[in-house]
Amino acid sequence: MTVKNNGSHSLTWLEDHGDYLFRYALLKVKDTHLAEDMVQETLLAAIASWSSFTNQSSVRTWLTAILKYKLLDHYRRQGREVAISDLVDQDEDESLDNFFAASGRWIDRPDAFPSPESAFQRKEFWKVFEECLSRLKPRQAEVFLAKEVYGMSNEEICKDFALSPTNTWVLMHRARLSLCKCLKIHWPDLDGLIEETGTC
Amino acid sequence: MLNCKQASELASQAMDEKLPFRERMALKLHLLFCRSCANFTRQLAFLREASYRFRTHHDLHLSDEARQRIVNTLKDKQDCG
Repeated sequence: MTVKNNGSHSLTWLEDHGDYLFRYALLKVKDTHLAEDMVQETLLAAIASWSSFTNQSSVRTWLTAILKYKLLDHYRRQGREVAISDLVDQDEDESLDNFFAASGRWIDRPDAFPSPESAFQRKEFWKVFEECLSRLKPRQAEVFLAKEVYGMSNEEICKDFALSPTNTWVLMHRARLSLCKCLKIHWPDLDGLIEETGTC
Repeated sequence: MLNCKQASELASQAMDEKLPFRERMALKLHLLFCRSCANFTRQLAFLREASYRFRTHHDLHLSDEARQRIVNTLKDKQDCG
């Protein structure tokens, strides 16, 4: 009877979190079919380990954690060396030393980006954007995607990821700094399109 | 007076909610004098727009076929269980 209940839970999970898990997986594996398989494997594993779910985390956080281990398995099967911290990084207390000097000044001063329209028309831009998203630290990526790509509200994010508003701001700030820096480094067209440079 | 690190934190926070009056004014003042942070705030708007486009232009949903396939697998599992 328990198994049956878990099975019907899993249909609700698919309904409520299927798209979320799919997008998360897609950003990592960049292959639609593989991402779909990852969602399926995650839900099957979730049924099997439902008893280990504690109400301390939200269902989405729990399912995402399972998905991360599925992704790790996948990378390992491919023979890729992936540190667990690349996917399941709890320690994101890294300082902002890469971005700011001790005085609080920018190390690399932000440039003006070109107009969004000119960038968005280029296929190359989207490749770089996707790549930069997938390079974010796991926790930053989750929160940034939830907010900016999936359009979740601040309240939903705090609840779903069990974060305080302050934690959320910190993660968003880091994610945004990292993305801006990554775009600047990896987007070859950017320099030609920049209108002005910063002086602070 | 804010430094750039603090200003960038407030600029990021301001993307997500309305800042308290004091912080809002401090940020405004900093941005008047700091081209780099003004650029950063424009980059934030750029990121928001790009993320929005990314969502609308890419099919980021499980297809109906995939969904059905997963439902079938889960139901099989349920029946076998």
